[in-house]
Amino acid sequence: MTLAAFTRRLAGASFIALAAIGLAAPAGAAEELNALVWCDHSDPNLLKPFEEANGAKVNVKEFEGTGAGLAIVEQSKPGDWDVMVIDSIDVRRGVDRGLFEPLPEDKLPLADLFPEVKMDAATMFGGKRYGITEKFGYNTVGYNKAKVDAADMQSLAVLTGDKYKGRIAIYDYYLPVIGMAAMAIGKKTADLTEADLPAIRDVLFKMKANAKAVTDVVASQTALATGEADILVGGGEWVTAGIAKENPDLDFSIPKEGAVLWSQSLAMFKDSKKKDLALKFIQYVLSPEGQARLATSSCYWGMPANTKASLSDDQKRILRFAEQPDFLKRAQGYPAPSEALDKKMQDLWTEMIQAK
Amino acid sequence: MSLSAVRAGWASITPALAWTLLFFVAPFLVMAVISLHPQEAGGFSAANYTQFFANPSYWRALTNSLEVTLLVTAVSIVLAYPFAWILATLVPERWQRLALMLAVLPFWTSYVVRSYSWLLVLAEKGIVNDTLIRLGLLAEPAQIANTRLATIIGFSHFFVMLLTLTIYANLKQLSPNYRKAAADLGAGPVRAFLHVVLPLTLPGIMVGAFLTFVLAIGDYITPQILGGNNELLMPQLIMMQIGRRGDFPLASALSIILMVVVSIAYVACARWLKIERA
Amino acid sequence: MVRAVAVVYAGAIYAFIFLPVLVLVLFSFQGTLFPIPPFNGPSLRWYEAVLNDPRLTSALGNSFVVAVTTSGLATLLGFLAAWGLARFELPGGVLLRGLITLPLTVSYLIIGMGLLVFFNALGVPKSLIAAGVGHVVINLPLCFAIVYSQMGEHQANIERAARDLGAAEWQVLALVTAPMLWPALFASFFLSMTFSWDEFVISFLLTRFDTTLPVEIWNLLRAGLNPKTNAVGSMVFGISIVLAIVFELTAFRRRPQ
Repeated sequence: MTLAAFTRRLAGASFIALAAIGLAAPAGAAEELNALVWCDHSDPNLLKPFEEANGAKVNVKEFEGTGAGLAIVEQSKPGDWDVMVIDSIDVRRGVDRGLFEPLPEDKLPLADLFPEVKMDAATMFGGKRYGITEKFGYNTVGYNKAKVDAADMQSLAVLTGDKYKGRIAIYDYYLPVIGMAAMAIGKKTADLTEADLPAIRDVLFKMKANAKAVTDVVASQTALATGEADILVGGGEWVTAGIAKENPDLDFSIPKEGAVLWSQSLAMFKDSKKKDLALKFIQYVLSPEGQARLATSSCYWGMPANTKASLSDDQKRILRFAEQPDFLKRAQGYPAPSEALDKKMQDLWTEMIQAK
Repeated sequence: MSLSAVRAGWASITPALAWTLLFFVAPFLVMAVISLHPQEAGGFSAANYTQFFANPSYWRALTNSLEVTLLVTAVSIVLAYPFAWILATLVPERWQRLALMLAVLPFWTSYVVRSYSWLLVLAEKGIVNDTLIRLGLLAEPAQIANTRLATIIGFSHFFVMLLTLTIYANLKQLSPNYRKAAADLGAGPVRAFLHVVLPLTLPGIMVGAFLTFVLAIGDYITPQILGGNNELLMPQLIMMQIGRRGDFPLASALSIILMVVVSIAYVACARWLKIERA
Repeated sequence: MVRAVAVVYAGAIYAFIFLPVLVLVLFSFQGTLFPIPPFNGPSLRWYEAVLNDPRLTSALGNSFVVAVTTSGLATLLGFLAAWGLARFELPGGVLLRGLITLPLTVSYLIIGMGLLVFFNALGVPKSLIAAGVGHVVINLPLCFAIVYSQMGEHQANIERAARDLGAAEWQVLALVTAPMLWPALFASFFLSMTFSWDEFVISFLLTRFDTTLPVEIWNLLRAGLNPKTNAVGSMVFGISIVLAIVFELTAFRRRPQ
């Protein structure tokens, strides 16, 4: 009996000790903002000025694909999350689930954004704006110009031909690369259907046969930086700009077939209990200062959506700021598949990776 | 045994038992139930399992995993055995502890960082290729990083150490008299080893091999960092379902399939895995 | 001849074991952005970057707290269970022993996945505590197995003697059994700490904002190539070596005999 009581007490004590781990976490600032983000928003360089100005703390949780991000939200309690970074073309998926709050257009610098990236069709529903584009760029052909002939990089055919066999890496994200494969055979990324998949499959398999590796963000950078690969399918400023200082030979092209435009938006949750702070955060990220810091975030660089971003001339040159009007004209958006087609595309991607 | 003694016995094992039931057995059952509710189709069906066996790119993840894991296990045993034998028999007794410590020391680095370090070591401009080219042994850099070979090297690094420990412990328990006796009976060193030492160290090998199998087949980091995604192993396929699509039912089904494979390995090794009391 | 071959072989294995770690430490002192040859240091800039990164330093603290707490709990539960099963003949004892050691035979990924869907189903949010629960699951069977294997008959006799002298059951356990098993308890705790400290996948699946060092290092790795990763890896290495030496000098020296 005594022993039973003893063990009970011990077990109780250990539970309390374990619970204390949670409580021991720093009490933190008065207000906290819970943000579901991509890795570029975790940079202290971006968050600190906002935290200091508002006496708040931004808690960030990184996620990969939209499906996974929405799953995180669904497993949380309403009100757990305040803001989310999401592919602009996927804003609809959050709206369909009734997750997002309309944004007050008059309080946001919409007039300053590059007009091509506002993407009203994808972010406005029933006359209300649910997402605002904050950063964009291209999934195209990234390369090391000291190692390849830059003229070859003007056509997507180089990816399926055998001139650079074994010197190519493929960025491990199915949507943009499937988009590029579609463009290589003259299809529009916006109109893809299941009937197009067999032809896209052929292109992907030819690319895979040429490829050395299928790499995530950092492995892509590593592969180009270490000379492991000379060409990155799906690469762009987001992989070359951040390391341009160390290796000025890294560059990207927009081939004659065009490139895939990636674009990320900020959205606010309907159930957020801190909508004022959430709006302030969105305003900060879209301000010229926030835009410059986001554009040059340590995880990856990208074009700021705001034309007035306070970037240095050097940073603008690296991002090829002046050439944007031409690039934007030739770019197409991410494929925006239905959930059923999305699953098929992911299975196709898995099949490509597993191909011997 | 008195009633109070029985009570004391139960009371002392209850916390551990409750913990295991609540946080190991119950989650497993929940996972099994969820795996039968496919995300897309909804309802109650075995679609996630049939999909696994119907889609070659899914079950190839399992065969890839088995190939890599078995190779790693074999390579690690072959490399570790002579090393453990040298440590146990040729190194003077008072230096053995230090020699073992030295072999374990590098594993006090973070294991995520260690895998990443292997990637840099094996890269085209990495130190291995760099050295081989400078020595004139290679004309141009060999492709090692981002291949299955890199995954196997990364795995073997850890498991050579682990197997060295289990085999060393086993060798130390053997009396040198066994070998002497075998020699007296006319067995040469090779026969003495094959017929006496090797069978007696089989438990050490099997315990290490089982641990290697279980830990390697469920590991995500090493293949993800070193394999260059030129093929997927089971843990990568599982994490892909969670990371990209949030498809928990499919991820659960894949986990259960992996669990079945590990259980088969356990049954195969069970006779060597008993916990003996002093 | 045998000796020469042995020396060469052992040297080769040591080289294999040390290679990535030496390279790791060397390039943590790299002066530029790429931790690959040529080496152009030494520079301390990446160490400075690590110490100025609040996410890494708080993850370091989290990892330490989780490792110590969960190892303590796992050792305690493992010790109690081992004592109960070794000293009392309980019905179904073999089965219970099997059940408690079962998690030892399962990959961490499966344990993490199970807890993830389980906590989801119950509506328990992700947290360090959730990850800690998982760490106890993986370490409890280990602690149990180590302590159980050290429970011999001679200790039972001493316990009986203590009981005859009027000690209550809990006093026997705390004042007689535990001190006798000190080396086994210590080994359990130490080994658990090692595993918890370096565990990735369970923490990755079960934590949200506050997380452990391996997960934060993974995030860092995903955030771009730089020798900061080398620096934080080298620092962990340094701390671990110091801890190991301290343990070696204090704990192992005071062993009975």
